[in-house]
This record gives sequence, structure tokens and C-alpha cells, in this order.
Amino acid sequence: MEWLLEPFALGFQQRALLGGALAGLMSAVVGTWLVLRGMSFFGDAFVHGVVPGIAAAVVLDINPVIGAAVAALIMVLAIESVHRQTNLGEDTAIGLLFVGMLALGVVIMSRLDTYSGSLTTILFGDALGVTGTDLIAQAVLAVIIVAAAMILYRPLLALAFNPDKAELLGMRPKTTHAALLILIAAAVIGSYQSVGTLLVFGLLVGPPATAALLARTVPRMMALAAIIALLSVWIGLTISYWLGTAGSATMALVPIVLFFIVLIGKRLFSRRSSSEEVAVEHA
Amino acid sequence: MSTPNPTQGQDAVVAHDIVLRRGSRTAIDTSSFTIPSGQITAIIGPNGSGKSTLLHAIAGLLPVSDGDLTVLGRHPSAASMRTSGVSYVLQHTDIAAGTPLTVREAVAMARYPHLGLLRRPSAEDRRKVDDAMKLLEISSLAERHLTELSGGQRQRVYVAQGVAQDHDILLLDEPLTGLDLLSTKTIDAIIHEEPRHGCAVVLTTHDLEEAAAADHVLLTCGRVLAAGPPSEVLTSANLATAYGLGALHEIDERTPLLPTEHHEGHDHSGEHGPVSAD
Repeated sequence: MEWLLEPFALGFQQRALLGGALAGLMSAVVGTWLVLRGMSFFGDAFVHGVVPGIAAAVVLDINPVIGAAVAALIMVLAIESVHRQTNLGEDTAIGLLFVGMLALGVVIMSRLDTYSGSLTTILFGDALGVTGTDLIAQAVLAVIIVAAAMILYRPLLALAFNPDKAELLGMRPKTTHAALLILIAAAVIGSYQSVGTLLVFGLLVGPPATAALLARTVPRMMALAAIIALLSVWIGLTISYWLGTAGSATMALVPIVLFFIVLIGKRLFSRRSSSEEVAVEHA
Repeated sequence: MSTPNPTQGQDAVVAHDIVLRRGSRTAIDTSSFTIPSGQITAIIGPNGSGKSTLLHAIAGLLPVSDGDLTVLGRHPSAASMRTSGVSYVLQHTDIAAGTPLTVREAVAMARYPHLGLLRRPSAEDRRKVDDAMKLLEISSLAERHLTELSGGQRQRVYVAQGVAQDHDILLLDEPLTGLDLLSTKTIDAIIHEEPRHGCAVVLTTHDLEEAAAADHVLLTCGRVLAAGPPSEVLTSANLATAYGLGALHEIDERTPLLPTEHHEGHDHSGEHGPVSAD
């Protein structure tokens, strides 16, 4: 048992675990709708899109959360604007903003003396540097996100089913979509300290995608995604401690590996079931 | 323009000189018509003639650009949709593969307008969902995922969803297109059952026989060319105008039930404007 407990013996290690767990919980709940609505590319771009806001906040010495929120807002408005005012598809608009915002973030950071260190922290997080104040902010965001996801369950499900049908059912799809974007932004902003802006995408998409392979209903998918996310954080930090790997990156890697393990396991199981059915038929 | 010819006292839909636009394109040019309550109305016309656009407008999904449209005595709008009594089964509802949505959950969505965000479904809500599934013969599929169903079974789920929603008008966009025999028979039975409960059924179709079997017909070609009983609307002259003269021979051969004589009150070839794409 010691090998399980030792990685979390010290205060900063416990804070890393708690911070990662809260990030995992927020990301899993929001990520479920991201996956169900086929918005993974948007999610990927979104987590890069907040980089210049955080970078500007670091340069200007203001709260990075404010910078990230402003950058997220600019990103969403710009994507909508390009999409509506041109014949280009939404994926092109997302791609343009994806690269543009990330590059802008790096350009802003390059003005700092601590360019390399600051950029690494923003992109890849600093799980072991999570403070008590960070945890309180994360916990508040997590409660808001989980509560909002429960309240908005019906509008979000109707929107995932069909936007026109959602409107016909009085579920206000445009407002619901905007609310989902706000929830994604909140989850990214609340998670980047622990896992970084790049790696939070692993927690946004990995656990829900794995859960989608196993769950029969959306509430079960969300619950399973949360469990997988928490498990990923714990396993990731444990591996990171014993192998001396980067904590945030290991946390983000685990759900992706889990996805492929479940996928292969499911394939093998269904092939075996099919073989057994054929054998029974021949008997 | 055809004179509205409702066979019952009250009309479910009344349109006066309405114009419907999709972006900058006019999908339905100035048109007036009525849709009677408690009857089956078929909307027929070539591709892009504005059939689905009409349903969207009646459902409140598309605002009227000009003219006046009343549905059950109200102007259809997003705000009134929740309580408007209009249930709309869309033509295209593509579910992403892997979406963990069961048949029961999909049908139960029909109760959302009544339940709002947080209200728990009552016994009455559950009964309406069960009844709709029974009517469409999908009770045995209740726990299956939508993505595990055939096209016909899925269409029955969407129609069950439409039936389970409280409604006075049931709109169906090409409900029978490309279905297997069982699904066609089941949905057709629903279409004919609904008027017995006083509900107006409005469906779009490409099938002239299906349109001829309805109580009331709207013929569209970028506007509502004619409206009324099938025998008065589905004339050779009207069809030639709507589908183009080249199609007339083919239509007549396929559907010998259509009268070939000229109907004075419903010949609108002289009024016909350019056909807009839908």
C-alpha cells in the first residue's frame, strides 16, 4: 500500500491530487457534451485560444483568469464572425483562430525574460505548484459547472439531438449553446493551473470518449467520464512520482491510453462473443 | 390563387399573402391558403418548391417575411412554440454514431415543453410516452440506442416523439419516404388516426397517390399554386404548371387517378411566377 500512499504524503502532492481531481471533474462533465455534439476540434482550439489572454495577464501582472476569459470571448466571437461573414466552413474559422491565438500567445510571452518557463507553465500546467487559493477557486467553479450541467441537462440533450427540435421543444438552442461555451471556458480556466491549457484537452475529451464506449445513457456517460477522469488524475500522479515524469502530462496521457485499452478490450470481447454465438449455432 | 376550401368550420392555419424567405432567397412567394382542423392536409410539389419551408413557418421555426400567418389563432414564433400545440416531425434528424440515447429517452423529449428544465415527469407524462411507443410499435425497442435502429424504426421513433408531445397540429416532413413496409403501414395508420382525435395532420410528400388520399392539398412551386380538395388541386393543368410541361405526360401515366380536364377555379398557370429553390 505504501507505493500508493507515498506519492501523496506531502501537502503540495495532496494539493496536486485535489487540483487534478477538480480539473478532471469539471472537464469530464463539460467534455461529455463536447464529445456528444461533435465539437472536439472546437474544444481543442478553445484551449489554445486562451493562451494569449493568460500570457497578456502575466505580462501586465493581472489575474490570469481575467485574461483567459477575455481571450475565450474574443475567440468565440471571431469564430462566429468568420463563419457568418464568409462562405467558409466553421472548421476553417476554428483552425484560423486556433493557430492565430496560440501564435499570439507565444509572441506575447516571448517579450518576457522568463519566456521559456512561463510558456511551459501555461501550456503544460504546474500540478505540483497548485496553491490553497487555487483549490478554492477551482472548487467554486466545479460546483457551478456541475450544477449548471444538471440544470441544463434537458436543453443540452435536446441540442445534441437536433437544434431545430430543441427549438420546437422550447429548449432555446442558441442560449444553450452559448451556455455550453461559457461552461467550456470555465472548465478550461479552472483547470489550466493543474494540467495546462494544452493538456486540459486530454481530460476534456479522453474520459467522455472512453465513457461513450461503455455507457448506455448520457447521465451514465457523464458519471463514468467523471470516474475515469478522477482515476486518470490519481494514476497519472502516481506514475509521475515513481517514474519521475511530468505530472500534468502524465495525467493527460492516462485517459487517452485508457480509451485505447477499452476500445481494444471491447473489440476483443465482441469478437469473442460473436465466435461463441457461431459455435453455439454449429453445435 | 386558389380559394381556400376548408371542409370544417375552423381552420388550424390561415395564411394571408405570406412571403417566406431563407436568407436572401424567396422560398414561398405571396401565397394565401388555409389548413382545416381535424383533417389530413398534404403539401406536394417538386424539390425545392417550398414544402419544408411552409412547415418550418407553421412550426414557428421560420419567421414570415411578409403577410399574415396564424396557427391555431396565434402568430407562430419561438416564444409561443412551447404552448402552441404544434408538434413537428422533422425530415432530417441525424444522430451522431455512438450517441448514448435510448428510444425511450428520445420519445420522452416530447414532454420537455410541458416539464421545462427541472420538473419531474408525472405518471401522465410517462403514460403518454408509453402510449406513443405502443402506437408506433416500438415498445420492444425502448432500451435500444437510436443508432442501433434501422431507418424505418428510427422514423417511427421520431413520429412517436411527435405524437407524445401535446398537440393540435401534427406536422410531418416526408414521413413515408424510403421506409420499409411495416414502418410505412404503422406511420400511415397514425396519420389517419390523428384526425379522429380532432388533430390536423399536415404532411409533405412527393407521392401523388398519397396526396390524392388526403382530405386537403396544397400544391407548391415557389408559392402555393393551389389549395383545396385533391380533386380540385391535382389537375393536369396545375401539375403541369408546378412540375413543368415536360413532366406532365409522366405524371399522368403514373397516376391515372388524376383528372385531365381543366378546372376553371384552380387553373393558375397565368399567375405562376418563377420557381424558387427551397
